[in-house]
This record gives sequence, structure tokens and C-alpha cells, in this order.
Amino acid sequence: MSVLLEASDEYAALERLHELGCTDGLPVVVPTPERVERMVVASGLPADVSLGTMGPNHGNASIGTIAACAVMAGCLPDHLPVVLGAVRAALDPRFDLTELQATTHAIAPFVIVNGPARHACGPIASGFGALGPGFRANASIGRALRLCMINIGGARPGVSDMALLGHPGKFTFCMAEDEESSPFEPLHVALGYDATASTVTLVGTEAPHSVIFVGDADDPTAPDRLLTTLGLSLATIGANNAHFGGGTGVVVLNPDHAAVLDRAGFDRRTLVEALWERAANPRSLMSRLNPSMVRPPKGADEPFHAYRSPDDIVVIAGGGSGLYSMVLPSWAAGPHANPAVTAVVELDQACEIPGLAAR
Amino acid sequence: MPAVALVSSEFWAQGEFIARSVGMPDIPRVRFEHPVAGAGIAVMQRVAAAIRDDIVAALAAPGAAA
Repeated sequence: MSVLLEASDEYAALERLHELGCTDGLPVVVPTPERVERMVVASGLPADVSLGTMGPNHGNASIGTIAACAVMAGCLPDHLPVVLGAVRAALDPRFDLTELQATTHAIAPFVIVNGPARHACGPIASGFGALGPGFRANASIGRALRLCMINIGGARPGVSDMALLGHPGKFTFCMAEDEESSPFEPLHVALGYDATASTVTLVGTEAPHSVIFVGDADDPTAPDRLLTTLGLSLATIGANNAHFGGGTGVVVLNPDHAAVLDRAGFDRRTLVEALWERAANPRSLMSRLNPSMVRPPKGADEPFHAYRSPDDIVVIAGGGSGLYSMVLPSWAAGPHANPAVTAVVELDQACEIPGLAAR
Repeated sequence: MPAVALVSSEFWAQGEFIARSVGMPDIPRVRFEHPVAGAGIAVMQRVAAAIRDDIVAALAAPGAAA
């Protein structure tokens, strides 16, 4: 349900939204009826079309309410198709959004964009600093999803969002895959989509962990050292998935690290298999650290894998050239145990309105 | 089947929220001290003893089978 508030001016309206808990704590663009209507028009869909209900409050995720959150987040109308794709993915029952919103874990939905939407709905950054400040589309799209989760899903810290600390990705958490620099096929193509399609892949993850690796083209052990560093980082001992042996982890490979693995002959499939093999801890260690969750060791040296299968590790190319890639470990909980969910970005629904962005 | 939700004090507000959001605002709930996870058997037994009668009463209440 949406209600129309009244305020004497823009400042008073903003303060009222803060008071009502409708913001993420930062200033928002006040979603006046005119601004929301323009965003709805840009969607090409009627405002009352519902994409589903969003938990834990079971609010109606209509085009109108999503558009209002997109306005608040600072989105341009061009960004909206990706926002709608992210909301569709979040509402997929496999994503377990209600449980994800309510958990004490710090999980947040990481939005990965593939295909032409990276340019048509952005540009959505994928290179240097893509997960940091400075990129309007990344910041606004990820924030729009979060504001939907707050205002439609009803997530309020300490009441319905019980994350003990949360992480900064709960403000905004969106990037594109750097398909142009990647030696591997794009993520959405590997998932079975046509290269001309655009997709949002949503993965509930922890905050990104930096992974340092110094390459050496003359060292034949370099690929294995890199894979082992990434794998152990995916299985970092404090992460849920290290203890539950499930969920979905993400690796963001920078161009240099991707090149090391490409030169060694890896493709996407053999890469995730190699990562899965290395994303493990000794069962004896896990049993000692967490005897209530990990069964007694069958053998001291037997690995306890941090993910159920190689399919549960998502690899994308991104970031700048240098020493650092990123891994994002997992929550590994909820009825479906935290799978990645992909939704199509419907670019052909969008209605182009010249000059709209400036208003 | 009669049911009662056991909710620790830190999660009482969330329990209220969820009960309302799923349309069951009057679902029986019993409050107990927080935390109990990892608190040890002695604490568990004390907490269980403290809320035992409340659980039985809640299960016997008319709304428990709603």
C-alpha cells in the first residue's frame, strides 16, 4: 500500500520521510507524484502492475511502488529496467527474500548486470572502483533495490531486519560484469542466455573480501597459487558457508588475474571446479571450531567443502588492473540455501522520453 | 494443532512484526530471556523452567489452535 504524504516544502518532505523510516539514512529524492509518474511512464507498464509481494511485510511490489523507490534512490528512468530486473530476481521464491531480510546475518543482495543493459541502462561500471562511490547507475540501481526492501518489504533494523551489524553493501551493491575485458564467456551466456540478452543475477553475499595475488608469468605454479588463494578466501573460516557447506559465493576476477587463468587454459567450467576443490577446510579443523554444526571427522585430512558444488561459485570479471580481486562469501541459509537467481532485464518495455533525465 | 512461538526478548519486536505481517497478530507467544544460544545447559534448564507454565498455558488457550 502506498500513501500520499503532504509537506510544506522539499526539506520538510525529506525530514518526514526520515522520521517515518522510509529512507536508508541518507537523503533521498522526494518521490512526488509527478516524479513517480514520469518514472512509471518510462517503465512502459501501468503503475498497478504487480511483480509480486515482498517480505517480510508482504508489501505489493507494483510498478508504481518500485518506481517511487527508484525516484528516491536517485535513479534515472534509463536505470529502471535494471531495477525491475533486480526486483524480479529478489521476488523469485528461490531467493528467500523474507528470510534474507530477517536474518541476523549481514547478507545483502549483490546485483550483477550482464548484456547490453550495462550500457543502455547506465553506463553501469565494471572496472576501477566499480563497487565504490562515483558511479551513478551502480549507486542508484543498488540503492533502489534496497529502498524497495525497506519500503515495500518492510525491513527495519532491529525490528524486521535483524542483521546484527549489516554491511555497507546494504546501502547499495551493484556492478556490471566487464565482459569486454574478460577472457571468459559472460556470466549470463554461461547460464544459458543469449549474448544479446540482458540479465540481473542476484546473489546474497557478505561484504567483498580483498584477495591479493602477485603474478609471475615465469612461474608455472602461479595459476595454482592464485586459485588456492581465491579458494581459501571463499572458504574463509568465519563465513557461514565454511561451516554449512552451502550457499553461493562470488569471485570478481580482475583483468590480470583472469589473464593468468586464461593463459593456463582454464575456461569457466574448469575454473569453478578448481575453485570448488580449493574452497575447503580440513574437516578436523571445522569439527574442532564448530562441533555443534560440523560432524565428527571421517578423516583428519578429509576436506570440508565450503560449497556443495562448483555450480555454487559465481565468477565474474571486473575491477581494475592490479593485484586485487574480490571474493564474496555466502549466507548459506534460508529454505533454498542461498542460491543465485537470474532475471531478464526487459529493455523492450522501456519508454524513451527525451529530456526526462534533466527534470 | 496447538502451537506457541517461543521468542527471546531481543527478537520480541520482530515477532510482533512477523505476526502482523502474516495476518496472525494474536498467535500465542512466550517471551524468554536473551541469549540462550550457547548459554550452556544450566541456563537452558533455568530458562525452560521459568517459561514452562507459560508454554502450557499458551497451548491450552483458545487461540493456540488457530
